[in-house]
Amino acid sequence: MKRQVLLAMALCAPTTLATAQVKLPPYTREALPNGTVIYLLPRTGLPLVSFRVLVKGGAESEPASLAGLSAVTAELLRRGTAGHTAAQFSEDLDGLGGTFFAGTDEQSTSITAEFLQKDFDRGIALVSEAALHPAFPEDEVRKALSRRLDGLRSMKDNPGGAINSYYRSFFFGSTHPYGHVPDEASLDHIRRDDILAYHKRMYVGRNLIVIVAGDFDPAAAKARAAETFGAAPAGTAYAWMADQAPTRNTSPKVLLIDKPDATQTYFIIAQPGVRRATPDRVALMLVNTLFGGRFTSLLNEELRVKTGLTYGASSRVEMARLTGGLYISTYTKTETTEKAIDMALDILKRLQEKGITAEQLASAKAYTKGTYPPERLQTVDEIAQVLGEMELFGLGRDEVDQLFARVDAVTLDQANDAIKRYYRTGNLTFVLLGNASKIRDVAKKYGPQVVERTARQPGWAM
Amino acid sequence: MRFLIGALVVCSILLAQDTRLAQDTKTQTLSNGMKVIVQEDHGIPNVAMYFFYRIGSRNERPGATGLSHFFEHMMFNGAKKYGPGQFDKRMDDSGGNNNAYTSNDVTVYTDWFPSTALELMFDMEADRIRDLAFDPKIIESERGVVYSERRSSVDNSNGGMLQELARATAFIAHPYHWPVVGWPSDIESWTMDDLKAHFAMGYAPNNCVMVMVGDVHFDQVMQLARRYLEPIPRHDPPPPVRTKEPPQQGERRVTLSKPAQLPLQIVLYHVPEATNPDVPVLDVIGTLLTQGQSSRLYTRMVDKEQLVLGVFGGVQDALDPTVFSFNMQPRSGVDPATSEKVLYEELARLESEPVPEAELRKAKNQMLANLYRQLKTIQGRANLLGSYEVFQGDYAKLFARDKTIEAVTPADIQRVARQYFSAKNRTVATLVPEKAEVKQ
Repeated sequence: MKRQVLLAMALCAPTTLATAQVKLPPYTREALPNGTVIYLLPRTGLPLVSFRVLVKGGAESEPASLAGLSAVTAELLRRGTAGHTAAQFSEDLDGLGGTFFAGTDEQSTSITAEFLQKDFDRGIALVSEAALHPAFPEDEVRKALSRRLDGLRSMKDNPGGAINSYYRSFFFGSTHPYGHVPDEASLDHIRRDDILAYHKRMYVGRNLIVIVAGDFDPAAAKARAAETFGAAPAGTAYAWMADQAPTRNTSPKVLLIDKPDATQTYFIIAQPGVRRATPDRVALMLVNTLFGGRFTSLLNEELRVKTGLTYGASSRVEMARLTGGLYISTYTKTETTEKAIDMALDILKRLQEKGITAEQLASAKAYTKGTYPPERLQTVDEIAQVLGEMELFGLGRDEVDQLFARVDAVTLDQANDAIKRYYRTGNLTFVLLGNASKIRDVAKKYGPQVVERTARQPGWAM
Repeated sequence: MRFLIGALVVCSILLAQDTRLAQDTKTQTLSNGMKVIVQEDHGIPNVAMYFFYRIGSRNERPGATGLSHFFEHMMFNGAKKYGPGQFDKRMDDSGGNNNAYTSNDVTVYTDWFPSTALELMFDMEADRIRDLAFDPKIIESERGVVYSERRSSVDNSNGGMLQELARATAFIAHPYHWPVVGWPSDIESWTMDDLKAHFAMGYAPNNCVMVMVGDVHFDQVMQLARRYLEPIPRHDPPPPVRTKEPPQQGERRVTLSKPAQLPLQIVLYHVPEATNPDVPVLDVIGTLLTQGQSSRLYTRMVDKEQLVLGVFGGVQDALDPTVFSFNMQPRSGVDPATSEKVLYEELARLESEPVPEAELRKAKNQMLANLYRQLKTIQGRANLLGSYEVFQGDYAKLFARDKTIEAVTPADIQRVARQYFSAKNRTVATLVPEKAEVKQ
């Protein structure tokens, strides 16, 4: 089958290039008696089959004192199961040329695995055994936790990676689940019993989504999925937390992380944003493309292309289940820290005051429609990811199939209204990581009180 | 509920679709010497267009290191027809996206766009290949961008800084000695004349391969190529790189002292260029040692003995003799001498004991499955086809990759390990953490 994405011409495309609406290929969705939702998306081409297993919950389902529990649980799934030692599992997986990754985000644990088409049965057996029957041997638990502690040290040696954890901890704070970034203390609290209990409570039929995509026989796959994932206990569906939007600061907040050997300053400027299911999501996607989401964005144009202050400047609107942040992120040499921050703030202010033009909006629309297919719908594992998001966030298939129409429908007024409401200029949260002795005075300029820590200290912002 | 009992019988994977892939790929060389490779795939309405120029940091000289990479940046800063910023802007407006990369050997420009923008892309690419503009003000601003890139990837990255030091120690004569991004003092002093000379040297159509994969037709591509690219005159390619690295005559050790919480270690061994038949054997060795949680070094160093956080090993394709690199991060409290010793024990074991057949089969399966994964996207295929053309001399060798890997025997592995993994042939670079904070 050569045609992997069904095409239909969009009825009215306002730009000169009439971009065809991409649609999801045919798939089935079925709930098994134990609550597990199974998606089957057959597509031939390369002889590969991709599995994506989602467990609802993620970081928001962890007790605050045990931050990292869902991630450690995910990491340990393959490190010893009812039928395999950790070593046997890895031998079998690698012997098939298969892949298996497990990790967590704000609202889910995801296992992604891929096998050759001919190894479908062995593949689903390995994946389901890891997901449903892990043994969590004590020595593997101990090793994983101790490795994670060193992982924190390694992360703090690399400012480009560490800044994001500092941001999350400082911006969301200790009362919000997204502010619970795994640290030395929380990892130290986690016990094998916590992991066992978490797995027993969360990895149950009512929390499971299983997506099979690629080259496979749907009837056989359905039978296998029912035998494996269908046999999991139904359990209790995870009760999602009510949204708790980060509140807007009443005065600016500044965190300064000292790394005395740094020759450049990394900084993030944040404010409250949206949740994934917000009706404003398409307008914000377009606006953020223009503000800091592509190479020719306002931020990158000024901070990189015109002034050479940085290698890259961007902005991001977090799209998780609970309301997240909207932030500017970049870095510059120590000496130009103030200049770069002021410039970023100035671009934000201009956006807030002047909004965007019809021409800019048309460009963002064309860019979004042109880059969506190769970035989100090209391979079966990409499509599996899209299906998983739809299920997790309660969105329909129109999220993809009508995306282009929704993009086209965003008016200039709607885009500028979204800018007025979300891209605000006052009482922002600043996170700076660099040589504090040289940028301490600069940091003070942005807020009355600067919280200061060093990159060697345990913990993040707290 | 178990389907797997006991040890798994490891069967072989073969590139089942190699013939289909080969049939779908067509090629033609323009009269000015530019080779065009096209693979049609109408799966999504998009195209990947890759230009491989055979010029990289190996074609540079002391005082102007990093110039190829700087030049890569300048290729986005305006030409005759499409002025500063226009290349990116017109691509964005058309729903496209682009990037580029420079290595020791090549500079590669990568465009992805809806097939509706095909002609625009030919026009813009031809414009910048033929008539790049050199605006002094833009050069200064871009210099700052490249220095910022260096600060991120080297100066403020422990791994990047150690890598630079390790390579500079392993190569004392050949241009692989200097970093692709360039030495800081060179970044500060490149001139307009350097840039112009580089352009004149490297950007000849006969020094370039264009690969296009996606929603296009071969005839249509060739028609556009003849219209836009063929009129660009051919000229001399870069002069050959004369300097050969003299054989290493003893272990070289170097340390980097830096504030850090954990050490880092890189061990390099000199190995041959990409076309040498020992390279696929080295690829198998890299897989056996570090690919997957069942690999030898992961099992022993990361898992059982808990000596390192991670370990990676392998060789990248190169036009000239290069290095096989091991990168490790020792755990807190572990003396890097200990992890180093264990690495040497495992390398010695490759020399003394033939790799069991099942283990070799596993590594080959991993390599072939990974190859499939790189074929999943139009971008992945464009990059593979171009890389095989440039580094192996023929893109069609991609379709024989399974046979090349399949041919590797346990005896090959022993022979190759003995030949290259000797103490005399290695360079060891260690980042030693400075305990105290630097007082300012």
